[in-house]
Amino acid sequence: MTTHQTTRRAVLATTAAASAGALTTSLTHTAAAETVDGRPRVDHFQHGVASGDPLPHAVLIWTRVTPTATATPGSGQGPAVTVRWKVARDERMRHVVKSGNVRTSASRDHTVKVDVGGLEPATTYYYRFFLGGQRSRRGRLRTAPTTHATVGDLRLGLVSCANLQAGWFSAYRGIADRDDLDAVLHLGDYLYEYGPGEYGMGPDDIDVRPHDPPHEMVSLSDYRRRHAQYKTDPDLQRAHARHTWITTWDDHEVANDTWKHGAENHTPGPRQDGGEGSFLRRRARAHRAYDEWMPARLNETAKLGDGDRLYRSFRFGDLASISMLDLRTYRDKQAAYPVADGTVSDPSRSITGDAQMAWLKGQLTTGDHAPQWKIIGNPVMIAPVTFADLPNALVDPVNDVTGLIPADGAPYNVDQWDGYTADRREVLTHLRDHQVKDALFVTGDIHSGWACELPLDTSTYPAVGDSFGVEFVCSSVTSNNLKDITGQPQLTPVVETAILANNRHIKYLDFDSHGFSVLDVTAERAQCDWFVIGTRAEKDTDITWSVSYATTAGTQKVQQVDAPVPAKRTDR
Amino acid sequence: MNADTSTRRPFERGVADLRAGRRAVLTAAASGLVFSSALGAAEAAGATARSSPKRCYVIVTDGCRPDEITADLTPNLHRLRAHGMWWPRATSMPVMETIPNHVMMMTGHRPDRTGVPANSFYDRALGEVRDMDQPSDIRVGTVIERLNRQGYTTGTVLSKEYLYGVFGDRATHRWEPQPTLPITNHAPDAFTMAALRDMVTEFDPHFCFVNLGDIDRVGHADLTGTTLKVARTAALANTDRLVGQFVDDLKASGAWRHTMLLVLADHSMDWSVPTNVVSLSSGLEADDLLAGHVQIADNGGADLVYWTGPDADREAAIDRIRDIAQATDGVLKAWDRRADWLRLGPEAGEVVVFCQAGWRFSDPDPLTSNPIPGNHGHPATRAIPFFVAGGHPRVEHGARSPRHARTTDVAPTVASFFGLGTGRYEGKARI
Repeated sequence: MTTHQTTRRAVLATTAAASAGALTTSLTHTAAAETVDGRPRVDHFQHGVASGDPLPHAVLIWTRVTPTATATPGSGQGPAVTVRWKVARDERMRHVVKSGNVRTSASRDHTVKVDVGGLEPATTYYYRFFLGGQRSRRGRLRTAPTTHATVGDLRLGLVSCANLQAGWFSAYRGIADRDDLDAVLHLGDYLYEYGPGEYGMGPDDIDVRPHDPPHEMVSLSDYRRRHAQYKTDPDLQRAHARHTWITTWDDHEVANDTWKHGAENHTPGPRQDGGEGSFLRRRARAHRAYDEWMPARLNETAKLGDGDRLYRSFRFGDLASISMLDLRTYRDKQAAYPVADGTVSDPSRSITGDAQMAWLKGQLTTGDHAPQWKIIGNPVMIAPVTFADLPNALVDPVNDVTGLIPADGAPYNVDQWDGYTADRREVLTHLRDHQVKDALFVTGDIHSGWACELPLDTSTYPAVGDSFGVEFVCSSVTSNNLKDITGQPQLTPVVETAILANNRHIKYLDFDSHGFSVLDVTAERAQCDWFVIGTRAEKDTDITWSVSYATTAGTQKVQQVDAPVPAKRTDR
Repeated sequence: MNADTSTRRPFERGVADLRAGRRAVLTAAASGLVFSSALGAAEAAGATARSSPKRCYVIVTDGCRPDEITADLTPNLHRLRAHGMWWPRATSMPVMETIPNHVMMMTGHRPDRTGVPANSFYDRALGEVRDMDQPSDIRVGTVIERLNRQGYTTGTVLSKEYLYGVFGDRATHRWEPQPTLPITNHAPDAFTMAALRDMVTEFDPHFCFVNLGDIDRVGHADLTGTTLKVARTAALANTDRLVGQFVDDLKASGAWRHTMLLVLADHSMDWSVPTNVVSLSSGLEADDLLAGHVQIADNGGADLVYWTGPDADREAAIDRIRDIAQATDGVLKAWDRRADWLRLGPEAGEVVVFCQAGWRFSDPDPLTSNPIPGNHGHPATRAIPFFVAGGHPRVEHGARSPRHARTTDVAPTVASFFGLGTGRYEGKARI
């Protein structure tokens, strides 16, 4: 999401000074002090394991090895090595069904990414990696059902916006503790580009855990190191090891407010002039690091360097499809404040790009072959939100410090679909013209929880109630929300009440909680449960259920329900 | 909704044929309603009459949208759905019109097999656009006839005249819809449901195929359709009440425990405002190649366009028709009828044009051919309710399925219920 813009540039000058201290307290990704035969013993598997992109017969498995003490992430150092991997049906890994060797080296930052095929659909497996007499922790993965399987239930974890500097990843702990998820959807802002002191916890930007490298990530080495640092978080490691993930990026995987040719947090121009070089080269480096470090198929392969198309789809039998969007790589530049008349609705501007729009529409209407629920992994909100009737007394102080509400009196957030209304209209009109039922957008980005219906015309919605889909927005893992930024939690209910009153299609809004969500889908309904954490600064803070909303099949409406879905097991 | 360009009422033509050819007796029920029945139907079919307690009723809530079934508005239907088997992803099939989808229900096949692709089509032999309301329009057997051959008795209680016409004397017992309203040519649901209850009392057929036309007919004419749907809402509540009474009767008589009740719609409904009208006739006639060589069968949300010129120019004409249609405001898509997914057969002409949601076709005259706001036939009217209720053990209570149920699934579902094979059908048995 858009992060506050008034403080970021100001802190750049102090970054270098802050970084020295940050180094001493950042999470370690070097070898432990243990020795073997007088030599330092290197922990080869410091960054955990992960699985991702489940297909009926194939899943990616991932790890990063540290073959020598000098082979630190982003260093370009260390020998090429052969890593062995095994996939088994049982937890004790006695019944190995697939295994192999894979080479890795500094050229790919010693990451390992294997597309394991030949698996059984809708099945849980366990996997490990092996190097130099050491073995990784055990990971668990789950394949998708076959395309036309009858699936009774699909349960997904939903997460977004995890800023390591802003707190502990307790939300990931909540995800890791669950035993009943078929997959975890990460909806973007998996990591943040800022250096220490630039975007931390609360209005004073306190770094609960300072970033490494201790400056804004710009180079390939920077991006690799930052990914590596995040992958040392124990809660994130557990969540990756426990579940198969499906991820997309938002802006902070590259830089704040990324668009196709630039970003708010990118200064073009030569370094000697204070610039950060070519944006497209920077983005290519960011995407390269993402491809190396994330369990995702870019361009639908596990290969590196063959393209960076991240929008892709998954199928869970007749019950659901998941279309993961990339709303940064192809979008036109955000409208500038103050917004000129017509800019946000200019049909020549796009948030998806033409190819992705055509692909998305195809996913939503594939004739007789589309599944019942069309889930869209949507990095930024699609529901229209007007802030026009917020009291000025609230808007001004909020706008001074936060990107959560648009700046300079604009009635909408131009970084969301609200800034590209022609594209939104194209999607919703497509749903209406083809009477596509059960289109369900799951969204991150805005650090708050929302449940919305999706009208084409908000002016007639209060009387007619027409809705062409629903949207559930999960809150941030740690990234600042309204009270964090204003420091005035008493303001939040007033803001929430005003937004709900002026946006009748929005049924639920929680501007002040962090956590994760669980989406449970059956033929009869889709239910989203919001779980919230206590205090971001406390590693072992409580996790509690907050609220649940559901949409009944065929209705495109949401309503509150009384309880979260009961736990179930997926080890079947 | 279609625009019938024929000067004769379709029902009159169909009924005349029906009456001229049938061997039937007329029975007046206690209510005064009159039924026609085949003489010795089972014997005529060479089958031994069955004494099975099984009963199956297929009730088509014509034009009902799935989101209109709610606890507040249609409590009886909502309760039946909640306690029965529900397919939320169910759809009508192209063209999303009444006659073809009722035919798909009873045949289990798509229009390229049934010969019935739309309500209104251009009959090349007659040289006119007419409704598909003749018994001979259906080219394949129906589950009704199949049940008859197995010794079961069947009934049709169809509120619309053209449905009565097209299904003809296939059922053992038929109710001729009456009284029918002018313009809509359908019997109100109060009469239709009275007829069903009387038919059950008088003849108690094993299988009944029922069409309730009020929701559709009122929907077509509802000038508040784009907003409040005042008349439509009242029709939904009334139809729901009548279905509830019928179910109460079955429960009171003890028949419910032997019953499977399949409720679905043939299509849903979409409303347009007067300015959102597509009329292709003038554009096609203005084209040098097409002028004088094109016929249009207006089906409300879909236009079927026929090339009547030389065969040698057919392909060029198809391209021109599609280009002109596609460039017209309000058109969603102009398809070559031969597109694999349409499965409409040659009766549907050369080009099938769908309108966008919130629009309607009015051909040939943009003002008078189709003035009604509610229409269907286009993809925006695909979704339908589709659920099975009843006390028979084959009905799984509370079951929900994400599978794509279709109108073609009705015949195999009925066949399966009566223990007949389903392999011959394109549709799938849902129980």
